[in-house]
Amino acid sequence: MRDVTRPKIDVSRLSKSYVTDRGAVLALRGTDLAIAEGEFVSIVGPSGCGKSTLLYIVGGFLSADGEVLIDGQAVTGPGTDRGVVFQEYALFPWLTVRGNISYGLERQGMATAERMPIVERLIALIGLKGFEDRYPRELSGGMKQRVAIARTLACDPAILLLDEPLGALDAQTREIMQDELLRIWLNTRKTVLMVTHDVTEAVYLSNRICVMSARPGQIVEEFTVDLDRTKTREETFLSDAFNKVRNEVWLSVRRQALAVEQK
Amino acid sequence: MMPRPYFKGWLLRVVPLLLLVGVWAFVSATKLADPAFLPSPLAVLAAFSDLLSGGEIARNLLITLFRAAVGLVLGAVSGVWIGLMMARSQIFRAYVAPIVGGTYSLPKSALIPLFALWFGIGNVTAICAVYLACLLPMIVNTFHGVTATPKVLTWSAEALGTGDREMLSRIYLRHALPDIFTGLRIALGFSFVLAISSEMIASTSGIGKLVFMYGENGTYDYMFGALSCIVIVAFLADRAMLAVTAYCLRWHESAARAETA
Repeated sequence: MRDVTRPKIDVSRLSKSYVTDRGAVLALRGTDLAIAEGEFVSIVGPSGCGKSTLLYIVGGFLSADGEVLIDGQAVTGPGTDRGVVFQEYALFPWLTVRGNISYGLERQGMATAERMPIVERLIALIGLKGFEDRYPRELSGGMKQRVAIARTLACDPAILLLDEPLGALDAQTREIMQDELLRIWLNTRKTVLMVTHDVTEAVYLSNRICVMSARPGQIVEEFTVDLDRTKTREETFLSDAFNKVRNEVWLSVRRQALAVEQK
Repeated sequence: MMPRPYFKGWLLRVVPLLLLVGVWAFVSATKLADPAFLPSPLAVLAAFSDLLSGGEIARNLLITLFRAAVGLVLGAVSGVWIGLMMARSQIFRAYVAPIVGGTYSLPKSALIPLFALWFGIGNVTAICAVYLACLLPMIVNTFHGVTATPKVLTWSAEALGTGDREMLSRIYLRHALPDIFTGLRIALGFSFVLAISSEMIASTSGIGKLVFMYGENGTYDYMFGALSCIVIVAFLADRAMLAVTAYCLRWHESAARAETA
């Protein structure tokens, strides 16, 4: 039986320090974070606050002091239950669009006949029909990130970890991709943890926003976003509810950023 | 007029060569250099066609190519393996890095007399010399390519369920492929140099021995003819290597540059 009260992702007392040439730097200090199944949680905060570090620890790429539980099980390393999308340059450049998307399924040992329909469906989902045999170098930034998202979705992970997934895109492409991400999340209802420096993006996409303090990072404030997701982008952006949360989060992040300046 | 630009590019490459031959013809015709030591282009051409009509040059060329190829293939395979292990294993690197660093800048041809002493005159000595010369650029380039693999690629691969052993073949070696091909091109050049120089020092056969013999006998037109054969074969081998590289790296940024060039 699944315990409904147990969070999907449970981070407790997480601390992480890096050793640099100038001594140890504390990136995270006693961070706690619980994410329920199906939630879309964004972490925002001043640059260098350790928000990506937190995501990498949940992904199992970095070790840290404290505890990260997924469905009550301690994380010991990367796993296919947690799909990751990085900011850029994470596609395998030697594989085509189709090769990248089917990579994870091939590692699972899935037969070609079983794999192909899944891959074709994902290519259609991200609107890249006709580009299946292109290599990443032949794609635009937006197309690359679409492929990166599809590659992650192919393995059908329960959790999506997004590390500034749209950070390298121009403003117009970014908005289109935000709508695609929202649509994918509404259709799949996966548990999502996203790191971003864009407050508007966080409010537009998430259920909940955690604001991190400057290094050593800690979650200092949380905002629940309760927006009607059936509305269009225009309606949402012009609504008072959206702007009220956006302003609150923006002020909170600004306080943290100013605290860095004054140090 | 479509063929024009292509023809122009081709002409630009041939003109400097023709100029060089022109200077050579001028120097030998005006006897600025002793014709006994610098035969005219025509004399070399005659010797060259005479060599081609006989079986000697082909037979010796094949022997040399065999030695170069065996040394190159063995050196490339073990160089890639050592480079990969050095990049991925701290212990392996601790043992091997000082040896690689110490022997990297040693001219491998200096070892030919030693090999001749150990392995005698012939194939083994030549292959050993070629092997060692090819090994080091392969190690160094593979090592560099593997260690330069970005974290986001290895992390992505791990999150997509790539096992430890698969990481080597599916991620690290793939990422190192452009560097491996850079090493291969250097090694290809070295393979000719070492095969031929070891034949000059310690062999009774091969094109290197042939060139050396013609030089000793004072038949310089034939020596130049044999040298021309080496130049042509080495050039063709290099072109073939570039073609294979372009095909294998069609996914790489360098392919985009080649398309626009």
